Amino acid sequence: MNRYMNPYLAGIMLGVTLFVSYLVLGSGLGASAGLARIAACIEGCVAPLHTQASEYFGAWGKNPLSYYLVFMFAGTAIGGLISAVAGGRAGVVLEKGKRFSAWKRAALALTGGAIVGFASRLGQGCTSGQALSGGALLLTGSLVFMMCIFAGGYAFAYIVRRQWHD
Amino acid sequence: MIETFFGADALGTHAAFLVSLLIGVSFGVALERAGFGSSRKLSGIFYGTDMTVLKVMFTAVITAMLLILYSAAFGLIGFDSLYLMPTVYGAQAVAGILFGIGFVMGGWCPGTAAVGCASGKADAFLFLAGAAAGSILFNELYGVVKPLYSWGESGVQFVYASLGVTRVLFAFIFTAVAIGSFWMAEWVEKKISKTGYYLNSPFLWAFSIVFIAAAGGLLAAADAPAENREALREINAALTQPLMPGRTEQMIMEVMQEGRDHIEPEDLADRLMMGDRLLTLVDIRPKAEYDAFHIRGAVNIEPAGILQLLREKKNAGMIVLYSNGMTHPAQVRDALHRQGYRNVYILTDGLDGFVERCLKPASLRAAPVTDEEVSKIRAWREYFSGK
Repeated sequence: MNRYMNPYLAGIMLGVTLFVSYLVLGSGLGASAGLARIAACIEGCVAPLHTQASEYFGAWGKNPLSYYLVFMFAGTAIGGLISAVAGGRAGVVLEKGKRFSAWKRAALALTGGAIVGFASRLGQGCTSGQALSGGALLLTGSLVFMMCIFAGGYAFAYIVRRQWHD
Repeated sequence: MIETFFGADALGTHAAFLVSLLIGVSFGVALERAGFGSSRKLSGIFYGTDMTVLKVMFTAVITAMLLILYSAAFGLIGFDSLYLMPTVYGAQAVAGILFGIGFVMGGWCPGTAAVGCASGKADAFLFLAGAAAGSILFNELYGVVKPLYSWGESGVQFVYASLGVTRVLFAFIFTAVAIGSFWMAEWVEKKISKTGYYLNSPFLWAFSIVFIAAAGGLLAAADAPAENREALREINAALTQPLMPGRTEQMIMEVMQEGRDHIEPEDLADRLMMGDRLLTLVDIRPKAEYDAFHIRGAVNIEPAGILQLLREKKNAGMIVLYSNGMTHPAQVRDALHRQGYRNVYILTDGLDGFVERCLKPASLRAAPVTDEEVSKIRAWREYFSGK
């Protein structure tokens, strides 16, 4: 066996967390919206007038961080840290296959992140807000999004496989 | 019935922020304990070496789904107090494919990267920096991508309604598919990386039986929820009473004048002729009157049958009610509004107004009519009265 939790029990824990979110907040879990608001805040610090005049970020007002999903995002990081420290899994490392260059892995992580950041805004959510939360409510668009993630991922997986080769 | 922060329009309060933070902590712990603080583990699903993502995500989806559906069946929560994300077919399909490519390249998604970054993973930090840049890029390109962003906009759509099956039946099939996929995932792991520890284990058997039984029980439990019986009683009252206490004709007219809840006959006629699939037109007059004449495309509703039809359309598309005048549908609309329906509209001036404004021949009209209007009236008459 491995040092992580039984995946099915971890899934139940995640599902119960999502259910509590719906029961109390009335909305599901989310990650990319919180991150996008942090991005809006950063852009706002660099170019305040331009950001406030922009159509998408501008709609979030002068203080984009005053939003519940920003707090959820912060909570997610805190929870991750607590659990990693408790499980002895915390520590600075760049995850990659042994035979793969660290620079290339860094470039892939950065580029992949940029694509995901863009796609999350286009699809109005990510794996948390759309696939998981919308999927649990059986919303058509969320399930379409989820299936397309796997289609895109499997189609592209072969090209970037070497980053995990030991 | 629980009042959610969303239902009370209070997601912007400090209390909601605190609750969100705590839910986030639980979310982060669950992700980390599942092993999602590792990009290598997350990527395993794309190479068949480690199917943890499928097991955890699909288990979470069916767990939350069953808990929500049981809560709804027992009247604990109503779907109207939940935030339902709209379906935008084209945008979400394109976004999904892009997301999948970015996911397999970067090895992370936003939630798991937050966990990875907090526990020291440098690639997670870079991924988050990239994602923030990607969000800014989206903002900058918003003017250009706007058509794509709204491509295939379809309002709130439930997959079971899209497929034409009931909610509980779909939930049962969905659960069965999930359980099947878990057995398959264990088998794939055994073949590819000699793991698949849970294949044929007593644990997976017990897990499978519990979930199938829970989904099966829902078929029985969700048949006639209490909230619907209550709603039906109220709608029946609205249909039979001349006027609701506390609500005068004048108050109804005030709401009408604000234009929030009605649709003009001309607008309705055009939508019907275009074959707008998001529109449900309901004739709430007695069946005999409906049989004598009704607007083409309308369905007649006996009070007892109204909920079966409308439940599928709740907050999805547009429900338009009409009777002869306006008072009667306004009462039904109010009753539905209290049940959380936010997409019910009334036809301005009712059937009488529709006949007067759309179907009355141009030659019989008192006000002068332009050539454009004449041809429009002719088209309406042809479509709606076959003349």
